[in-house]
Amino acid sequence: MAAPTIGLLVNPAAGRDVRRLTGGATVSDTYGKRRAAECVLAGVGLADDPVDVVVAPDGGEIGQRTVAEADRSNVRLLDVAVGGTSADTHRAAAAFRERVDAVVVFGGDGTTRDLAIEIGDVPLLAVSTGTNNVVPTPVDGTVAGAAAAFLATGAVDADDATYRHTMIEARVDDGRSIRGLATVGVVDQSFVGTRAVLDPDDFLGGGVSRAARGEVGLSGVAGALTRVDPDDGRGVALELDADAERSVTAITVPGVVERVGVAGWSHLDPGDERVFAVEEAVVSVDGERELEVQNAEIGVRPVPDGPRLVDFDAVFEAAPLAADAHAVERR
Amino acid sequence: MSSISIEDTDGRREILRRMLTIREFDSTAGDLFADGEIPGFVHLYIGEEAVAVGACAALDEEDYITSTHRGHGHCIAKGLDPNRMMAELFGRRDGYCNGKGGSMHIADVEANMLGANGIVGAGPPLATGAALTSQFKGEDRIALAFLGDGAVAQGQVHEAINLAATWDLPAVFLVENNHFGEGTPADEQHNIENLSETAESYNIPGFTVDGMDVTAVNEAVAEARERARNGEGPTLIEADTYRYRGHFEGDPEPYRDEEDVKHWQERDPIDTFAERLIDRGDLTEAELEEMRSEIAAEIEAAVEYARDADLPDPSEAYDDMFGEPVPEIEEFASRLRADGAGGDSR
Amino acid sequence: MSTQPETASSDRTETLTVREAIRAALREEMEQDEDVFVMGEDVGKFGGVLDVTDGLFEQFGGERVRDTPISEAGFVGAGVGAAATGSRPVVEVMFSDFLGVSGEQIMNQMAKMRYMFGGKIEMPVTIRTTEGGGMGAASQHSGTPHTWFAHFPGLKAVTPGTPAAAKGLLKSAIRSNDPVFFFENKMMYEQSGEVPTDPGYTLPIGEASVEREGEDVTVVATQRLVGESLDVAEDLAGETSVEVIDVRSLYPLDTDTLADSIRKTGRMVVADESPISYGVHAEIVTRMVENEFFSLDAPLQRVGVPDTHIPFSSPLEDEVVPDGDDVRDAISQVV
Ligand SMILES: Cc1ncc(C[n+]2csc(CCOP(=O)(O)OP(=O)(O)O)c2C)c(N)n1
Ligand SMILES: [Mg+2]
Repeated sequence: MAAPTIGLLVNPAAGRDVRRLTGGATVSDTYGKRRAAECVLAGVGLADDPVDVVVAPDGGEIGQRTVAEADRSNVRLLDVAVGGTSADTHRAAAAFRERVDAVVVFGGDGTTRDLAIEIGDVPLLAVSTGTNNVVPTPVDGTVAGAAAAFLATGAVDADDATYRHTMIEARVDDGRSIRGLATVGVVDQSFVGTRAVLDPDDFLGGGVSRAARGEVGLSGVAGALTRVDPDDGRGVALELDADAERSVTAITVPGVVERVGVAGWSHLDPGDERVFAVEEAVVSVDGERELEVQNAEIGVRPVPDGPRLVDFDAVFEAAPLAADAHAVERR
Repeated sequence: MSSISIEDTDGRREILRRMLTIREFDSTAGDLFADGEIPGFVHLYIGEEAVAVGACAALDEEDYITSTHRGHGHCIAKGLDPNRMMAELFGRRDGYCNGKGGSMHIADVEANMLGANGIVGAGPPLATGAALTSQFKGEDRIALAFLGDGAVAQGQVHEAINLAATWDLPAVFLVENNHFGEGTPADEQHNIENLSETAESYNIPGFTVDGMDVTAVNEAVAEARERARNGEGPTLIEADTYRYRGHFEGDPEPYRDEEDVKHWQERDPIDTFAERLIDRGDLTEAELEEMRSEIAAEIEAAVEYARDADLPDPSEAYDDMFGEPVPEIEEFASRLRADGAGGDSR
Repeated sequence: MSTQPETASSDRTETLTVREAIRAALREEMEQDEDVFVMGEDVGKFGGVLDVTDGLFEQFGGERVRDTPISEAGFVGAGVGAAATGSRPVVEVMFSDFLGVSGEQIMNQMAKMRYMFGGKIEMPVTIRTTEGGGMGAASQHSGTPHTWFAHFPGLKAVTPGTPAAAKGLLKSAIRSNDPVFFFENKMMYEQSGEVPTDPGYTLPIGEASVEREGEDVTVVATQRLVGESLDVAEDLAGETSVEVIDVRSLYPLDTDTLADSIRKTGRMVVADESPISYGVHAEIVTRMVENEFFSLDAPLQRVGVPDTHIPFSSPLEDEVVPDGDDVRDAISQVV
């Protein structure tokens, strides 16, 4: 049997969009990402058994440099093409699915989603490189590497430390569809533009696969109204209107707490769909505008078969003591 | 007020028209260069149209721009007249620089277009200076510098950004990352992938947008311009884009293959935007064709205009060195003119 | 005083263009001395925008034929630092107009370090750069700033007028422990001539070359104007006997060869494609006045650029870029 293997993917573009201008989102630089990737390689040493690491190449050459500088036989570069777009993430995920036991990904909600779509049942350790995220956890790379190694070596049973994250899908009546990990939104705008949704007032509505008070964006708005855990398999539909009679306070973007007018909301159970009819709008997923639509109906529904995300706390709760613990005298 | 609003149908059509005009102008310029009708160096903007047009549409006519050696697109986006641009490429007296500048130096101060530039990285300090005028005189205008990825390796670029940042000047620095500086890939010239990261050193916002999408560039520049006008200082925007043609016309392009170019052409900034406008009902296929042929005619007319225009008289070579003429040059001129030994006799 | 070292193998020559002669000099010096390396924008894989370094990357690899970012201040300065620490860099600045970007490192470091440090370091750096109008490249790509560097204390400057001079001077420049600016007129790259093949062939910096002997008037020329003056001399043969000298080295300047010539002819035209005021012409004229005042039979003449920049449009460019006709007219003023 092949040695336990973890995959590592860094999105060089994460944390670099226009939200750095319009909101309080933190910036994530290449050097920081490279260091974090190196930390993962160190972190795998916490497991007792040796672990191989396969690193995805990327347009920013962060992965390539990490491998070159590691110069160790158990660290290799994944053999996939690089084009500098999100397709790189899809390709890497498909390759990882075949051959690794856990994947560490550095990015935001978007990167995690791109990976989730192709990763199948491989446990995903999503590490946030910025502040503008709902799904990934801000955790040190060394810690992430250690957690991945515990899972890959079987020291921790993946069933004890992962949960299935519900996704949320938007289907346009012209046949196009798109999935978000945490949110899809219907945005009162004409164009994809800089992708980021700059003004929360532009949301006409949307759906979320999780809702909690402390989250940023639509899932935080939903979280002001109800609570849905990411593994509930359900979702929430939101109908927003700045002029609505009722409003709730939420964190709409990093740095902004404001009142958001809510015209209506409902739970979405599996199979439920909420339809938005629009003349002109843009569909966003996980806070990024993606699809321009005209005179369309957009159905929003939860999709329960999302990725298996790793709960870092659960990993370390289940992690074994050090193999040589007995040798250390207890006083 | 932005000069062209992407919010309304007319504005969107004008944006498309300007992108198409750039493409037509530059394809024609490339042909004329190949035929030997245009001398010197010609750097074409084909493939990058969304950057210039997206940016200039977000600017007011009063706002300044500085440009680069690859400046035709910036000129057209800023509303310059293709006739006089073409005349300049032909070295005619009627050109924007009376024939003294050529492709690499087209400028129109009246349109607040402070010049294409033959020196890589020389534009940003000028933009910082224009922004200084605006701040100094209490005006509401901003200055936007276009610069290439290669220019980000120039010291004066960083000095200019630092000045603008430290003084909160109303400036925008727009890096056109077309992935090459001449024949050397950007990643062999820089140790970072996102050139917008340099902004962090100056404590100003920096971010990267899709330079093949005119709506993205437009929105980003509009945001940056607002920030500048509010006294919050400069912004660094990196637009990810690609040039389809060689670095200059005649470049054998040993550094890339056709596949790379094709890959980018799949996201052609003009085709994708035209498609979106057609989908939205802003424009019909027939209207698009009509627009194309109008533009083709316009550029053909510009070529005719330039061909027919007068060349400058050799004596004009001595003009414009100073506001107040100096006796030295007058003396040299009269000597050379008297014996007819200027270049005419060659 | 034409200076070809008198060794047996130096007799053999080959026909090379200026471009090939420069390339051969670089290749030979890199083969002979592993401390020599070349750097500049697109000098490596691309082979140089004007093709001069073509093939060197393939032969010597990227460490020794190094592509730089567009950072003239940085890489010219790095050339200075590398030279001060035992390397022998040949730095290409694509167009001499860009030397302004690297001005500081040239003026205050390259030129001054040896002197300021009390002679404790060597400065074996060569700067190769292109100059000159004639191809419609407009003001920022056509300048001829060599006077600045010839004028600045602590720098040497050479301006070859033939392929043989180009090869011999570049090899000397590279071997020199002083900073040498090597100015290539870009209209000359295709000009061909006989060039010695001996890898030991060099030409001393600081010596001019009498390219054609004559009795009536001396034309002291640089770069492209050497060839054009030779053509004029040929045209005038029988009518006026013109001596043509390739200055080769602006600083140090070979006063003796020029003085010897004017002692013979009594008349001189200085033809250099640079702005006339305060220039190379002025220096040569001054030295003649200082040294050979009593040999002069006519006012000395200057042929150069009439203190303008180089305009784009060809009628304008032709007007201000000096050529053989200007030399001929200047001759007619004095004989
Ligand atoms: C100071 C300076 N150095 C070098 C050059 C020669 N040169 C002209 S364009 C160019 C490449 C510029 O690359 P980039 O800034 O990325 O612009 P692009 O050509 O890709 O639009 C170079 C090296 C120059 N014009 N000025
Ligand atoms: Mg570039």
